[in-house]
Amino acid sequence: MRKLLSLLLVLALAFSLVACAGGTAPAATEAPAADAAATEAPAEATGEGITLGVISPNTGALAVYGAAVTTAVDLAVSEINASGGILGQQVTVINTDDQFDPAETLNAFNSLVSQGVGLIVGSVTSGCTSAITSAANEEGVVLLTPSATADSITTANDYVFRACYADSFQGAIAAYYAKEAGYADVGVVYCAADTYSKGLYDSFAAAAATYGLNIKAVESTASLDVQDYTNQFASMASSGVQFVYAPYYYDVIGPYIVTQARAAGYTGIIMGADGYDGTPDYVVEGADLTAFNNVYWTNHYDPTDTDPMVQSFVAAYQAMFNSTPNAISALAYDAVYMYKLAIEKAGSADPAAVRDALADPSTTFSGVTGTFAFNSETGTPSKGAVILSFASDGTSVTTKLVDVIKELK
Amino acid sequence: MIKNRTAQGYLLNTVVIAVLLIGFAFFKGALGGGGEFKLIIVPSIWQCCYLIILAASLNLSLGFLGQLSLGHCGFMAVGAYAAALLSLAAERAGVFEDKSGTAFLLVLAGCIIAAGILAAIVGLLVGIPALRLKGDYLAIITLGFGMIIVNIINNLPFAGQEGLALGSASASLYKNGLGFGTALKVTYIWVAIAVTLVCLVMMFMFVRSKYGRAIRAIRDDEIAASASGINTSYYKTFTFAYSAFFAGVAGALYACANATLSTSSFAFANGGILNSTFVVVMVVLGGMGSLTGSIVAAVIMFLVNYQIKNGVWVQHLPAWLQNIFSFPMLVYAVILIIVIMFRPKGIFGSYELSLRNFFSDIKLQRQNRLAQKLESKEALRNG
Repeated sequence: MRKLLSLLLVLALAFSLVACAGGTAPAATEAPAADAAATEAPAEATGEGITLGVISPNTGALAVYGAAVTTAVDLAVSEINASGGILGQQVTVINTDDQFDPAETLNAFNSLVSQGVGLIVGSVTSGCTSAITSAANEEGVVLLTPSATADSITTANDYVFRACYADSFQGAIAAYYAKEAGYADVGVVYCAADTYSKGLYDSFAAAAATYGLNIKAVESTASLDVQDYTNQFASMASSGVQFVYAPYYYDVIGPYIVTQARAAGYTGIIMGADGYDGTPDYVVEGADLTAFNNVYWTNHYDPTDTDPMVQSFVAAYQAMFNSTPNAISALAYDAVYMYKLAIEKAGSADPAAVRDALADPSTTFSGVTGTFAFNSETGTPSKGAVILSFASDGTSVTTKLVDVIKELK
Repeated sequence: MIKNRTAQGYLLNTVVIAVLLIGFAFFKGALGGGGEFKLIIVPSIWQCCYLIILAASLNLSLGFLGQLSLGHCGFMAVGAYAAALLSLAAERAGVFEDKSGTAFLLVLAGCIIAAGILAAIVGLLVGIPALRLKGDYLAIITLGFGMIIVNIINNLPFAGQEGLALGSASASLYKNGLGFGTALKVTYIWVAIAVTLVCLVMMFMFVRSKYGRAIRAIRDDEIAASASGINTSYYKTFTFAYSAFFAGVAGALYACANATLSTSSFAFANGGILNSTFVVVMVVLGGMGSLTGSIVAAVIMFLVNYQIKNGVWVQHLPAWLQNIFSFPMLVYAVILIIVIMFRPKGIFGSYELSLRNFFSDIKLQRQNRLAQKLESKEALRNG
């Protein structure tokens, strides 16, 4: 009797935890909802129908990105299926979770390939994606990552493509912006332990040298989950720079970096990259949100862009999930349509044929994040970026579009 | 007929392991070495192998010595990076060309042993100051050391981001050095199994030796042990380093199996199954003081983690169950709570599964339980 009672208690506890997780983390609950929707259709990898595999961090530190990818893929696939599918075949999706860990990413990849999936969207972060690029080439599986920006991801990898620009471009845009805005002395705070942060720092430094900017102060943190940046920004303030490049992810920008930088006496511009996407949901209630003025970042697209393609995507996403899509969503949505274009061009969903169609420079793709074709050598698209800034009246943080840069001069 | 019971046990274990390996070889032949076998079963065996070594090695210091260490993955990171860098250096020096032949196997063996030794040295350096503390304080200081080790590796110019973790460099570990791709993992599966068996034999021999008896005495009562003439600080430091050695070997296998290294995999806050807390969970789940328990728990935790995330059968479950399964950490927590509630000692307690004594142990346990029941009935009737 006692055993039965405690078992029931455990189960009740488990369910209440699920309920709590659903209540407090709205982004995280979208992932399972999308999972369920996607798996309602029979997931047949062979025979009729085309199966797309998705690898994303649905749990763990970057769960917001996982939800962004699974929802956008869900939206794109349901649109495609409603309009008759690809080559008359319905598309099904298999979602897998990489937990933001390279070893788990490899497991997810192997599991998808063993189910006969030949076309994969994923993974989201550079660190995880780099764990499976070689395996994708060995198995002959097309890997189209929505948002892994590290330069090294697609170098000389036949089967690996990405929907986003590479870090060498993204860091250069930030340096370009600093030059245009007239800052000669700049500082950098970055994370030495992360592929993304370090890659952006390298490309920013290279571009700064080209544009004649002087990097006056460099500080680093040892991991991405550090919660105190006061010393780094105090050093920036004392060196007198008015422009600091800080490539981090939203989960530290919102709660820690910006407010601590202002508290440490740094008043100049904080410039970031696409990892800042999602920051307004992560600011601390009650903190002085005017700190977020003067924070700029580069991104792949902006939901307020008046381009009709962007507007129809934002409207469709809002109708389906009741929230504004972020850049990762836009890129994942584009990735699915890139597969559609390539499969139609190749005439089949055979991975090798799709690979050739994607790599063909004449395959011009026009989507939410711009019009572009792949560079056949690097598998990286040539595309532009937007520069955004945060604006705050003290009670909430909003994002506004500053500039759209199509190419660097 | 062999009269010596120890020899009987050795013979039985050898026969069973040989039968299992032959069965595996047949199984491999029957499946043709492709598809699911190559992509799921073999990588799973590799991962089980390093998790088993890791959990069993932590059991030496947590279960047998009674010192809680929360930085075990730090030693694993040392081993992984040491093995990977050594193998890359060996390839650059031209010792081996492609991943085959005697030269490569020798390099591989050398890398694995060197990884263990380096991790043991780091373990010794950590252990000398850390083991002056006890209980919670020791847990905190080992936690700190685990983080320090990972951060140092991060900032080494030849090992951190610049060296190995970047995409191109991880691809280079895939092509060069000791990283195994999908096909090579099948070819060299015997390496993982052999290393695991050797490590387990070494650990079993250790806990049954004079050292094992000494550290169990220290665990049960440190003052009594030192009063009986046991040099407690020597035995504690030695065991800590010995357990770090095997964590380093597990790291070397990790580098082989994943062909990519990133320090975030060994960090304390890693979201996956591989972090220092999780290894402690495996040991507690299996039973502190039971190496066979650690083996079983490592395999169970791996399978649970793998299956609820990647198992095909999950797609056929009702939607509400899938929603729970999309939070793997929740499922582990529930399993842990249930096990600790009904078996606070862990699955095996301090019992070692033994093939030789398996049936007699079960019989003995049943008799014990019957006797207990009778006793409690008697007590009820009398009182």
